[in-house]
Amino acid sequence: MRTKMATPSPAGPRTWLPGTLMVVPAVVLAAFVVIGGMVTALAQSLGLFPLVGPPSLTVAAYGAHAADLPVGIALSLAIATVSTVVACVVGFSAALIIVQGKWCGKLVAALGTLTIPVPHIVGAASISLLLADSGLLARLFNNGGQWPELVGGPWWIGVVAEYGWKESAFVALVVTGTLATRAVSYDETAALLGAGRLRRLRHILIPLSLPALTVSATIVFVYSLGSYEVAWLLGRAYPEPLPVMALRLFNAATLTSRPEAAAVAILTTVLSMAAVAASLAYLRRSALWR
Amino acid sequence: MALTLPPEFSTPLSWPDQPGNGLRTSQGITRVLRIMLALALALWFLLPLVPLVLWAFADRWSFPAVLPQAWGWEGARAALAQGAIPAFGHSLLLGLLVSAIATPLGVLAARALAYHRVLFAPAVNVMLFAPLALPAFVAALGLNVLLLRLHVPPFAGVVLLLTVYALPYTSYVMRVAYGAHDLAVEEEARLLGASPWQVMWRVQLPLLAPALARAAFLAFLVGWSDYVITVLVGGGTIVTVPLLVAGAAAGTGNDATVALLSAAALLPPLVLLLGVGLLGRRPSGKPTAKSMNGNLP
Repeated sequence: MRTKMATPSPAGPRTWLPGTLMVVPAVVLAAFVVIGGMVTALAQSLGLFPLVGPPSLTVAAYGAHAADLPVGIALSLAIATVSTVVACVVGFSAALIIVQGKWCGKLVAALGTLTIPVPHIVGAASISLLLADSGLLARLFNNGGQWPELVGGPWWIGVVAEYGWKESAFVALVVTGTLATRAVSYDETAALLGAGRLRRLRHILIPLSLPALTVSATIVFVYSLGSYEVAWLLGRAYPEPLPVMALRLFNAATLTSRPEAAAVAILTTVLSMAAVAASLAYLRRSALWR
Repeated sequence: MALTLPPEFSTPLSWPDQPGNGLRTSQGITRVLRIMLALALALWFLLPLVPLVLWAFADRWSFPAVLPQAWGWEGARAALAQGAIPAFGHSLLLGLLVSAIATPLGVLAARALAYHRVLFAPAVNVMLFAPLALPAFVAALGLNVLLLRLHVPPFAGVVLLLTVYALPYTSYVMRVAYGAHDLAVEEEARLLGASPWQVMWRVQLPLLAPALARAAFLAFLVGWSDYVITVLVGGGTIVTVPLLVAGAAAGTGNDATVALLSAAALLPPLVLLLGVGLLGRRPSGKPTAKSMNGNLP
């Protein structure tokens, strides 16, 4: 397709100039925020960018919460992992129903699309009104004050439920986007050749949606790892996931807490980048990419 | 990342019919199971929004009661008293500004990557997608001090960060659209005597309108939904709807206010979503246009 398209500018010594100028505004802004954000966070965590006083290089901020950091890392990874699994399982099932069409497919597609514009803080507030000990479900299944501690409890059910709910719609629509274009014809061919429902799922629908599923799972994982407001509203005071810990330290009154907040932020970034790198390596190795 | 958004979506109730010839239809017990799974999924997506609707107009709803005991406007009154109207104004302004900046930047970058030679194109691609990998709170926390020292006004700083977090979506949506867009149509219009300006307004814009609407809508959502960047970079001076919801939800006893604010926060994006769907369904109205819009699902 691209070979048919004539490039607007004739071949010459500086054909790269118009195209490069067109990407400059977007790239400059993105670089300022992404690279600038990481560099300033790193500098703050190392004491090079203090709010007041002279800068001095130190790694003290990384050791200040040596006991809490491993707990926070484990908790953040656990919440992100479970949320991603829930979102992928529910989202993939929803995508299968949607590509089947019919009224049930349309219903699931419509309700899934409705959850897309819900801000996460609104989703968290709704989950709280649904799952808390005075929430709608506790009223519906009133069993004499024996309602489990879903919101603010030890198992972080409310937080996982919010991520799982909202991100399953995201996964469903991303996977539907790739399945709808190709999967139907392959699926029909296989059905014509006598493949049963499970074999078609295993040999056609899952392989075809695996790239989209991997990409969306990575996005969900990185998002739920680095997101603040849901865990803050639906979680408990201790232990804290990394973003909640970082923002508490950032807003604390003491001057030493800013570098500590930045250190937690840098740790979150490292985990997040590692997840993205692992996912890209997997996509490349398994030749799923393109 | 500030928000996860699917680049391709259709407006509710207008998902295209799948071509079917009965080969893939289920029968008997599998059909029942499939319908039950569909209903369970529908309930999964809908259930969390139910308490919002019930609580929004509940004046009194003490614990064991399954339904509110007294309906009224107490939640609305409290929400207005907490400054709901200026907060809506701020949120709308933020969403519209982010959309107005991130969409043209995404269009420019996508068009350049699709049709022009770009220096360091792989690095440009990485940079445009990089905001997806960096948690929003890290960028906000890091840049906060720098923006203060550079004397960037808080509102401008918030718009800057949110624009960057919207760029992956706008540039990706437009990249897919330009991939399916045929430059020959533009050349033909030029050949028939159209000026570059006319080509842009009467050829390029109508053909790309559905994708443009989708990109603009996704960018609007990034600005409309944000919490953490507004808190950290805004420094408490910019109160948006998500901040009001968070403030009310963190307290106790104001469930009606929380529900009303939350339900109200859903209305503008839902209206826009329906509008985007209508625009996407009518690709410039000409019979040939549909075949050119290969990017639509």
